[in-house]
Amino acid sequence: MALLRQKMLPFQEQIIADLLEDPNGGVVVLSSGLPVHTLVASLLLLHHPSQGSILILSASESQKSSICRSLLLLLQNPSPNPSPSPSPSPSTSHNPIIPTDIPSDVLCHRRADLYTTGASYFITPRILIADLLRSRVPPSIAGLLILNAHRLTDNSTEAFIARVLRSLSRTSYVRAFTDRPHAMVSGFAKAERIMKCLYVRRLHLWPRFHVLVSNDLEQTPPEVVDIRVPMTPAMMEIQKALLETMDACLKELKRSNKVDVDDLTVENGLFKSFDEVVRRQLDPIWHTLGKKTKQLVSDLRTLRKLLDYLVRYDAVTYLKYLDTLRVSEGVRSVWIFAESSYKIFEIAKKRVYQMTRADGVRISTDRNISISKRRKVKRDCSKKEKESDNLWSLSNEAVSAKVAENVGVALEEVLETAPKWKVLRELLEEIEAERRKESSPKDGKNHVGGDSNDIVLVVCKDESSCLQLEDSIIKSSHQVLRQEWEKYLLGKAELHGLCKHIGKRSQDPKGYGVLDGTITSGYSENADPRFISKLENVAIFAAASEIRHTVQEGVVIEDNSQPHTRRHSSRKGSGGVRFQKAATKAQDSRNNHRKSAKKEQSEKINSEATVPKVKSNAVHKSGVHKADLITSCIDNIDRGFLQRHIHDFNTSEFINAKPIPPVQFYAIEKDEHVLDIWKPSVIIVFHPDMTFVREIEVYKAENPSGKLKVYFIFYEYSTEVQKFEASIRRENRAFESLIRQKSLLMIPLDQDGRCIEPRSICEPSSVVPQNSVTRKAGGRKTIEKEMQIIVDMREFMSSLPNILHQKGLKIIPVVLEVGDYVLSPFICVERKSINDLYQSFASGRLYHQVETMSRYYKMSVLLIEFSQDKSFSFQSPNDLGDDVSPTSIISKLSLLVLHFPRLRLVWSRSLHATAEIFVSLKANQDEPDENKAIRVGVPSEDGIVEADVRAENFNTSAIEFLRSLPGVTDSNYRALMDGCRCLAELVFLPLERLAELMGGQKPAKMLREFLDANYPSMLQ
Amino acid sequence: SVSSSSQNRNAILVSNRQKGNPLLKHIRNVKWAFADIVCDYLVGQSSCALYISLRYHLLHPDYLYYRIKELQKNFKLHIILCHIDVEDAVKPLLEITRTSIFHDCTLLCGWSFEECGRYLETLKAYENKPADSIREQTNTDYLSRLTHALTTVRHVNKTDVVTLGSTFGSLSGIMGASMEDLARCPGIGERKVKRLHDTFHEPFRRAS
Repeated sequence: MALLRQKMLPFQEQIIADLLEDPNGGVVVLSSGLPVHTLVASLLLLHHPSQGSILILSASESQKSSICRSLLLLLQNPSPNPSPSPSPSPSTSHNPIIPTDIPSDVLCHRRADLYTTGASYFITPRILIADLLRSRVPPSIAGLLILNAHRLTDNSTEAFIARVLRSLSRTSYVRAFTDRPHAMVSGFAKAERIMKCLYVRRLHLWPRFHVLVSNDLEQTPPEVVDIRVPMTPAMMEIQKALLETMDACLKELKRSNKVDVDDLTVENGLFKSFDEVVRRQLDPIWHTLGKKTKQLVSDLRTLRKLLDYLVRYDAVTYLKYLDTLRVSEGVRSVWIFAESSYKIFEIAKKRVYQMTRADGVRISTDRNISISKRRKVKRDCSKKEKESDNLWSLSNEAVSAKVAENVGVALEEVLETAPKWKVLRELLEEIEAERRKESSPKDGKNHVGGDSNDIVLVVCKDESSCLQLEDSIIKSSHQVLRQEWEKYLLGKAELHGLCKHIGKRSQDPKGYGVLDGTITSGYSENADPRFISKLENVAIFAAASEIRHTVQEGVVIEDNSQPHTRRHSSRKGSGGVRFQKAATKAQDSRNNHRKSAKKEQSEKINSEATVPKVKSNAVHKSGVHKADLITSCIDNIDRGFLQRHIHDFNTSEFINAKPIPPVQFYAIEKDEHVLDIWKPSVIIVFHPDMTFVREIEVYKAENPSGKLKVYFIFYEYSTEVQKFEASIRRENRAFESLIRQKSLLMIPLDQDGRCIEPRSICEPSSVVPQNSVTRKAGGRKTIEKEMQIIVDMREFMSSLPNILHQKGLKIIPVVLEVGDYVLSPFICVERKSINDLYQSFASGRLYHQVETMSRYYKMSVLLIEFSQDKSFSFQSPNDLGDDVSPTSIISKLSLLVLHFPRLRLVWSRSLHATAEIFVSLKANQDEPDENKAIRVGVPSEDGIVEADVRAENFNTSAIEFLRSLPGVTDSNYRALMDGCRCLAELVFLPLERLAELMGGQKPAKMLREFLDANYPSMLQ
Repeated sequence: SVSSSSQNRNAILVSNRQKGNPLLKHIRNVKWAFADIVCDYLVGQSSCALYISLRYHLLHPDYLYYRIKELQKNFKLHIILCHIDVEDAVKPLLEITRTSIFHDCTLLCGWSFEECGRYLETLKAYENKPADSIREQTNTDYLSRLTHALTTVRHVNKTDVVTLGSTFGSLSGIMGASMEDLARCPGIGERKVKRLHDTFHEPFRRAS
């Protein structure tokens, strides 16, 4: 323990102490972000090989490496300056305490040896259960550590393992961990059920608001700066429209009366788990739902994504995503036709470009005019929009425009940059400036605390925003957007190239003249929206082709340059191919663009000077009113978080050359616990995330001496903030519910204080068919020979073996060549869940499986197994269609049945129903022979396949070969076999004879040609 | 009567017992006619079907058994078309499954009259259809066809196909090759040589 104290916080030690108290084990639920891996690591450290082996189940790859890393950290002698290198040094990597993987390809007896070494191992449930069932695991095993306990269910393999282990050894423990409290309260009494299936009776709850946790974490809190960035008006409007649409969808869903209304709130709708809630309620009746309701559910998912992407994607990418949505969902979707969603598309477009009329007037003067004209069209435009228009043009780094005069409309680039990008850049500059100021007077001391280095860690949600941010810092954000814009245009052009309709038009300049004329008169009054969109397409196409020009010719195009109509038409012919080339050349042109962009930039700097003023005011106003979001909802203790305002930028020296500190980007999605590795002194949280905030807190508490400053960049009044706050509330609610559940836990115990198997008492299980039970007095059952079933190893991915075992059947795991389950010497079962059924029909695998199965077994069974919580049917009658369609599942099943008249079909409602069916089919049958079953389908050395009923009489290999030849069909291969003795003889049969045997010239010719075709030489 | 019998060949024959079954309304894509037959539906030369709904089975648990007995195994394919029309289907379906499995019948389940009707239509329409649409699709170019054919022989892999092809020039060449010739190919070991040679030269039907 003395060793541990160097690295572990008191509350962590308490968790370990509590857990060790009960030799049975327990379930630990932590607030998300609290370090599960250090807990596991310290448990491993306390373990002594003499106690037996420890097996760690269900750890993800990132968890495995985190555990190993923190174990190494704990093992290291507490030095003031631990090496920052993440990779373990070679000397420590062989430490017996460090757990290693047990891969599946290690031979069985070798695995049995490993279990006795007393070391610790990561193992997959599938391997462990097979070894347990085959008695390869010694009873001396110390215990199991199960991670991600929230994923467990009564039927999962981990539960199966716990049950078998318990019957094997009374002394080994099961310790389970999870840091997803909200997942532990989904469904009825989930925590209690998980505990029962693991046979543990202790539930340890460690919420962030636990007094020990908060004491530890809030002793030396990091310095927190909360920056609220206002969203652009366009973003605000999109967000508003999205929320409105979402609300409308929810109301619509409520009207269907199929879902519990309490769950249907917009706040819940922000989370992924919302889908789960809805699906869980709807799944049993899914096939009875109308198309509209189903669509609503998927629309809500789309809308949530759109909300999320709004604050994460740049304007161009966002528009691109919307475009693809319109293409992929346009026809079906309900929300796309809602009024507010029209607004979403419009505004999203306006963030990127605008359409203006050119009329051959210079764009510099035309812009204002065209905007005002547009206003006339849209009478309903309020003053607000005028304002927003102004703001847009202000907040944009550059507004440039492209005119394609011949087209009659101009495409005006707006390219709104994300406000956060700029704030980040400014922040970095400021940090660097401050550092320099600090370090220059007292040069002797290194400016930041002892063991941390200069790195500024910028934390994003996903990898792609990391890359984009990095770009936007190195180059200018406008350039990044420009590149996206070019890609967007090129992509559009490609689409247009495919679309002949527009292509033709662009080829015919005269048509444009006419079009142009009609527009001039019709534009201002009630312009047909289709007209406008057509024009828009034309303009986009023009702009895109312009880029293509630059790409092809490598010419820098001035912003106002106009492409000739001629070029248009000359290009048309070769379209696709050239375009490909163009794309590869894009790099060159980008460089050129960069040059021009830079020029632009320097011009813009002056005009930009006004922007920061606006912005910094906003920042001031919003200030840091809620810096301690982390604790705010837990209690009102407003401790320690320093509040700070961001600098005034009135000095406005916006030159890109300004130095910035070394920056490291990290995507939260990777889940790598990087803080210990990078040891940053400054963290900028670009996308706020509760789990990561906790990680920061723990990191700070573990390194109380180091200085740490954390910046949060939030969009003000955004769903981003709402979601962050809601996630904390949600977790607290989950814990409150868990605490309540804990007080009411009902875990049955036996005399030794151990948990009792929940099933064994209540359910004698209907092993024997009814009438045989009643025949015996009082329904008493004499214990017969234990029934056994041979199960293919691959089937342990499913829960069926677990349930069969619960039923009292003996499970023998082996690798089967043919079938999934062998019930008796004659009965073999191929099991298909509904998804599998569709897939293996599509791939043709099912046909092959059935074919081999019916070759080796007297009774081959195809088991079609439905899922308990989904509806028991393929489709609703409405989806059946009018005709016999070859793609329908009914047709495929019928065809299968017609071709394998001896195949037996079994339809099962659920896993449990399957178990009963198996038991019922096994009644009065002999037990299957394991050794025979594994040899089935595996040819023995002399070429005769054992147990093949036909192999004695036929050369099966030759027949299979024959049937795979072109022209040979199910109906003519027998005749061919009669016509010649062996395959070698077939070669000498003349065409006429082949035609005679095969019933036609065509197949005979096909076969003959195939046999005689020259093998293509490899030199050609 | 010749014309009527040829007509009947293209139609599903329906037993008079099935009169009034709402299912008949949904047989639209294939012709059907009442006839005096033992099974409920005659959907092909050698395939017949019995119809049972779970509700009926719950009332008359022995009905299905006697109907199957009547059929006397005169057909290649005996189908039991089970209409699942009760909420709690697990127990009755288990009984029907047992009965059909141990009396060599194939069980098909439908959840509506439309679906049951569709099964009958499809079985009739696909009476002589090859199984291509549910079999593994092989590419039609020469090399992949050749690979497909040769790899049906166990242990022969794609590299071996290239070796064999380039050595012997054509499939006939490969099939006619002697054991020594085969053994001379790089990568073709003793085991593969024997297997290939056996496949090509052992008779299709072994002398009994």
